[in-house]
Amino acid sequence: MIEVRNLKKTYDVKRRDGLFKSHREKVEAVKDISMRIEAGQIVGLLGINGAGKTTTIKMLTTLIEPTAGSYSFDGLDAIAHPTEVKKQINMIAGGERMIYWRLTAYENLWYYGQLYGIENVILKQRIEKLLKLVGLEDKANIPVETFSKGMKQRLQIARGMINDPKYIFLDEPTIGLDAVVTQELHEEIMNLAKKQEKGILLTSHYLSEVEQLCDYIYLVNNGELIVEGTKRKLTDFVFLRNQYAFSTKGMDEGIYLKLKNHIGFVDKDADVSFEGGKTLITSKVELSSKLAEFALDEKLTINELHKMEPSLEQAVIKLSKEMQKEKMA
Amino acid sequence: MEYKVLKATITKEFQVRLRAYPISFMVGCILTSFYTTFGAWLMYHYFFRGQLSDSFTGLTGTSDYMSYAIVGSLMYLFVVRTCLNVSRTLMTELWEGTLESLMLAPFRRVAYFLGNMLLQTITTFGETAIAAIIGVVFGLRIHEFNLIEFVVAVLISLYCFFGVSLILGCVMLYTRNTYITQNTLFTAMFLVCGITFPKEYLPFGLKVLGSIIPVTDCVSIMRASLLGGMPQAQVVKLAIKALAVGTVYIAMGMPLMKHAERIALEKMEG
Repeated sequence: MIEVRNLKKTYDVKRRDGLFKSHREKVEAVKDISMRIEAGQIVGLLGINGAGKTTTIKMLTTLIEPTAGSYSFDGLDAIAHPTEVKKQINMIAGGERMIYWRLTAYENLWYYGQLYGIENVILKQRIEKLLKLVGLEDKANIPVETFSKGMKQRLQIARGMINDPKYIFLDEPTIGLDAVVTQELHEEIMNLAKKQEKGILLTSHYLSEVEQLCDYIYLVNNGELIVEGTKRKLTDFVFLRNQYAFSTKGMDEGIYLKLKNHIGFVDKDADVSFEGGKTLITSKVELSSKLAEFALDEKLTINELHKMEPSLEQAVIKLSKEMQKEKMA
Repeated sequence: MEYKVLKATITKEFQVRLRAYPISFMVGCILTSFYTTFGAWLMYHYFFRGQLSDSFTGLTGTSDYMSYAIVGSLMYLFVVRTCLNVSRTLMTELWEGTLESLMLAPFRRVAYFLGNMLLQTITTFGETAIAAIIGVVFGLRIHEFNLIEFVVAVLISLYCFFGVSLILGCVMLYTRNTYITQNTLFTAMFLVCGITFPKEYLPFGLKVLGSIIPVTDCVSIMRASLLGGMPQAQVVKLAIKALAVGTVYIAMGMPLMKHAERIALEKMEG
């Protein structure tokens, strides 16, 4: 089991003040993160850009050292023994990095296999198995530079599994991929965790991806944990917040206040705002029919009424506010 | 495991070069050697009018300036090519987006750098051989070839250049700059390491600088193995000194490289 407590990372950053002037300042990328990853579990680390997800993953993969905090890897002090940890982990990142474009798919896997000191006979079998698994067995001897984005990403997955890691860190692995490849990748991630008992940490800023895959979720913002819990627990907090955009002919401040009042009877916790001539509502309650009813009662012509997928940004802002209120209380 | 990494790195680098070897880069390097030789030839024949002072013969043990300068420029080509390649390896990994995946693997860096160095040495031998043929046209004459001294000179040079590469690589990785760093070092080496004239002609400060860069002694030993003019005891003394300075560079370079790697990975974030 991976367990980190009060992990913190502060960067000493040089900021330019002009052509010849600069000053140094401390930037806290991760302020306080504690988490656990168990074998066979898919753990989600969710947050908007700059929340501290990648820094956290880099500390967990021992690529960078934490400024403070503890990191236990199957009972071993991971900060003191990074080489031991490296043998049992791997990381797959989104985009087209982490593979050599001028090498073929087979050569890439062979080279990384050698860096992990894998016996040649085992390595050969593993490469063949992995290439088959990611559907690249026919492209094994073609240089990667001719591959499509999806093919490169699939090769990255094979690379990330070359050392048969116990834990895999997936840093926004579906970024830039089309729906079909994303779905294939999701299936593969499920297979790795549920059939092969690998512990997986997945960072993402797609709510739906985390909702679909993860058993346990950590939501981070500004380098801090906002909320954590099982999917069921977080569903109330994050996933089941419906968002509506509603506008009628001649909608003004007066109608908006009436509507706000109307919604307040149905869901007192709903978040209602008036922007650009339309009312925006975030609520845990299904409101489509109530909004239509309101228009009918008030004899208003509906210009717009649609339900949107909740955005991560809004969920994070809302949760941050709620957490702050709780702290104050 | 170190042998596996060494062999794999050589193989990988060979495959990459086979597919995308920058021929123009090789031509550029040979041209640098050609320009150095040509410049020395022009100066010697048209500026000095073939006249050499007694002090030059006294300091170098030879009165054949063109052979002296050409051997110097060949060694310069050799050091530039090997140092450039080895010191830039991690920068190249950074540019190509493979630095993180490489650093994730639990291998010892020394085997990785040596792999790069050995493959580059093979390529550089070829380039230097072509440059040597051009040198013959300009007057390169091998006066006293000593095979043992030559082999020792090559081995010690490789050892020392490896150390210089590590230090240069650390600076490059730390500053995330290759051009200013490499050009500054190579220009300094050209001036203070006795490439086309003995370092004894330099002011005291630069002479000291020249003596703490192992390239200076490597050039002297190589000249001694090809042109003679140096007592064997002096060659042995220089070889021991070069080995000692090279060891200091390697001993400093390896831990510094770890530090530079860490900073480079953090800079990708911060």
